[in-house]
Amino acid sequence: MSVQETSTDAQDDLVVQVRVNGESRRGFAEPRTLLSDFLRHELGLTGTHVGCEHGVCGACTVLIDGEPVRSCLMFAVQAGGKEIETVEGLAKGAEMHPIQQAFQENHALQCAFCTPGFLMTVSALLDTNPDPSEDEIREYLSGNVCRCTGYVGIVAAVQSAAKKLRDQGGTADER
Amino acid sequence: MSVDAKPTATLPQYVGARVLRVEDPEFLMGRAKYLDDITLPDMLHAAFVRSPVPHAEIVNVDIEAAQALDGVVAIYTAADIEANTTGPFVTALPRDEIMPVTRPLLASDRVRFVGEPIAVIVATSRYIAEDAAALVEIDFKDLGVVTNAEHGLTEDAVQLHDDVPGNNIAHIEFDSGDVDRVFDEAPHVFSKRFHIGRVTAAPLEGRGVIANYNPGADHLTIWSSTQMPHFARTLLAGTLGMAEKKMRVIAPAVGGGFGVKSCLFPEEAVIPVASRLLSRPVKWAEDRQEALSSSAHAKEIIMDLDIAVDDEGTFLAFRGNYVGDAGAYAIFPWTSLVDPLLAADVVAGIYDVRHVSYKVDSVLTNKCPAGPYRATGQTGGYLLRDSLIDDIARAMDIDPVELRLKNCIGNEPYVTATGFRYDGGSYAESIRKVCDMIGYDKLREEQAELRKEGRYLGIGVAPYVEPTAWGSKSAQKHGFPAEFYDSASVTVEPDGSVNVTVGTQSHGQGHVTSLAQVAADQLGVRLEDVKVLDSDSDTAVYGAGTFMSRTAVVSGGSIMRAAADVRERILALAGQELEVNPSDLEISNSTITVKGSPGKSMTVAEVSAVAYFGGERRGEVETLTSTRYYDPPETYSNGVIAAVVEVDVETGHVKMRHFAAVEDCGTMLNPMIIEGQVAGALAQGVGIALLENAVYDEQGQFNTASLMDYLYPSSNEVPTMDLAHLVTPSDVSEGGIKGMGEGGLVGSPVAVVNAVADALSPFGVTINSTPLRPADVLAKIEAAQAGNGGR
Ligand code: FES
Ligand code: FES
Repeated sequence: MSVQETSTDAQDDLVVQVRVNGESRRGFAEPRTLLSDFLRHELGLTGTHVGCEHGVCGACTVLIDGEPVRSCLMFAVQAGGKEIETVEGLAKGAEMHPIQQAFQENHALQCAFCTPGFLMTVSALLDTNPDPSEDEIREYLSGNVCRCTGYVGIVAAVQSAAKKLRDQGGTADER
Repeated sequence: MSVDAKPTATLPQYVGARVLRVEDPEFLMGRAKYLDDITLPDMLHAAFVRSPVPHAEIVNVDIEAAQALDGVVAIYTAADIEANTTGPFVTALPRDEIMPVTRPLLASDRVRFVGEPIAVIVATSRYIAEDAAALVEIDFKDLGVVTNAEHGLTEDAVQLHDDVPGNNIAHIEFDSGDVDRVFDEAPHVFSKRFHIGRVTAAPLEGRGVIANYNPGADHLTIWSSTQMPHFARTLLAGTLGMAEKKMRVIAPAVGGGFGVKSCLFPEEAVIPVASRLLSRPVKWAEDRQEALSSSAHAKEIIMDLDIAVDDEGTFLAFRGNYVGDAGAYAIFPWTSLVDPLLAADVVAGIYDVRHVSYKVDSVLTNKCPAGPYRATGQTGGYLLRDSLIDDIARAMDIDPVELRLKNCIGNEPYVTATGFRYDGGSYAESIRKVCDMIGYDKLREEQAELRKEGRYLGIGVAPYVEPTAWGSKSAQKHGFPAEFYDSASVTVEPDGSVNVTVGTQSHGQGHVTSLAQVAADQLGVRLEDVKVLDSDSDTAVYGAGTFMSRTAVVSGGSIMRAAADVRERILALAGQELEVNPSDLEISNSTITVKGSPGKSMTVAEVSAVAYFGGERRGEVETLTSTRYYDPPETYSNGVIAAVVEVDVETGHVKMRHFAAVEDCGTMLNPMIIEGQVAGALAQGVGIALLENAVYDEQGQFNTASLMDYLYPSSNEVPTMDLAHLVTPSDVSEGGIKGMGEGGLVGSPVAVVNAVADALSPFGVTINSTPLRPADVLAKIEAAQAGNGGR
């Protein structure tokens, strides 16, 4: 049982148990607590950002059981028992993931507020399509807004990340 | 022009190189802390109660039900805030034409736009604060509205502010040369009206404030998602009645600004007051609806321009009229003039015209206040003038690029009819270059071919000159009499590493990298030995902040000066240690060597060890630190944007095919970062030209309060881009650096609009408003076919 009533906190609060970046985590949530708020403020994983809270900007994108999901459109309790990946899980210690490296090398971030959402979306894209065309990249990313870069660096970064990952023969997930 | 910018630059090593951003890994790993990522012990959360009506008397505010909600700690209304501040924001400029406008921090007796804050709820969670905000009951008495700037000027218009009679914040006139005579005698006069739509900068991260008042120390720490932490501290100190030494303002990681965060907002004063009253930290992070409805709007101006032209197509005179839509208050502290006055004042652009006049009004309306947004004012001014120039080209059957080249100034420094001194550029050369990049002649052929198939390709080419380095001189020249102070400190630490601090804030522009490049070159040290600190009034030296393409020049120049001092001291100490004349020494790669005797050397770390711990070995040499300021002369970048579009005349859809841009910002600090700035600005231009519109209905209701209605350009709408550089160093600034960052948005909207007009020229369409959504395009085609040129 991943969601259970609790009597210790305010009456409505529930305990939510999830796996985040491979680790089992638990925290309190009201039934109405958004997953984005739960990750950010209850679990302290503030790398996932909130740009609109109504499902348009994509800044809050995380992977749930491998699928990109807008965490602002989901309640924390709905994520109970699920496997969540956030931007914090991409790097291995100080070593950046090839997608992150490609973002730096192609100047794909400026203010970087959109970046975690893009990174997670790109990781999902390259998992399913290791060699996307520019059109496919633009189409796949069109649900993520960047106000700073004009997408030029981002598209280039995805192409370069795809190549890096292909060259090293892994997927975005298991490199 | 008095020039104190003796060339202090040494041979560049990092400056001009595509150095990858040193700040990136922290951001990429999700470790950077933005405002809402910060949590303090015992912190409370705030939500604002905002006006649902555009213009009304506040009859009664009932907070009883809200107060009763479990978790609500305090509710403050105007009276509480007034009792704990020195007064409202008063936006003024020392110019006779400009009326001061007063903005209460919370509305007390009257609201003037949908979204104006009326009360603030402080609660144990943001969810509860928002619940409580919904429980506040307010009775309003409707006062009628002004939703159009021109209507606001009419005699029977509803009045917004008792102390601004006629709703006009300013009426400004400028006249140089012999404009009316030239128009009377000119063989051709072309005229145009253009209404640029209302937009908002809408950085992806909204505004936000955390205030933490510590009663034991009588000290207030404020985190604000701002572009100007130091200047915000100065302004807030006045409003809060506190000494600046008791205040620390920190801009954490900031998720974009584009000008909107260079304003000071009432919320930035109200949250600190709440924290002071409660002696607890209070956080407010705005939601998207607040960002869209009540931060700052921008750019809406109703404009007219006449251009007098001779038979050969030479421009003889410009005469403009600019009615800006200020919204309900004059944005603090810059005034609402930033849009209409800058739109008017850049009317000369690259064109060699000696007879120029304009009139400017800035009119109060019941809308969100208008403030700076990248290429403030200029976007509109260029839409008007350069779309008219394309109209002229069509009417006179001259190629629009030819017509521009014909009227273009030379590359050497030039003083415009409006009194600005351009510090040299590549005005004509950049136009030719962009045409090469897009294959202009080939495209014209393709256009003709496609038309035969019923496909409509269009090309728009928009050259620009961008006023940059907004310091005292630039501001004054452009009609904003204000003084600015910007400085940098350079300190060599005991281990030889270098801390640089500046008063300009980086919110995506990569200053931590590009300014380190400047410092590293000037000192002769390795880039990895330099750290740049900004964004915190307690740890970085004072400056006015980042806006108006100023940082590369003001902070770059300050660093060059401070680093030159420190370098001199390093050399003096090394000279003592190595027993050679300092003038025989050079520093590179963090090592000091003696010219001509390669065996003799010392590292900067060794010199620093002497400076800190060498006792009497220091001799007379001063500390290895220096703080210097730089208030630069006017500098102007230039460039050109070319847009290629295809218009589907059945659906009205404009498909962006390609952008090309040439940027000349003088000495380049980091071309990669420059290209990033240009690319981002071009994308925003797509938004202004084709998508974005902050819409009020006739009753003053705001209809675009979500991203479903206010449309950001996505990776599907923003096309591929080709970006190139020309380099004409400034003849007046430190290091020849010119500012950049906004130019892309000076020229891109009109490049796109002109491309659309060019595509639709077979239909005789004239474009006189933005945005051009499919329905707008169809309406213009229909109107043109009905025989009135799309008006
Ligand atoms: S914050 Fe979730 S889509 Fe914008
Ligand atoms: S980098 Fe700022 S929103 Fe994308």
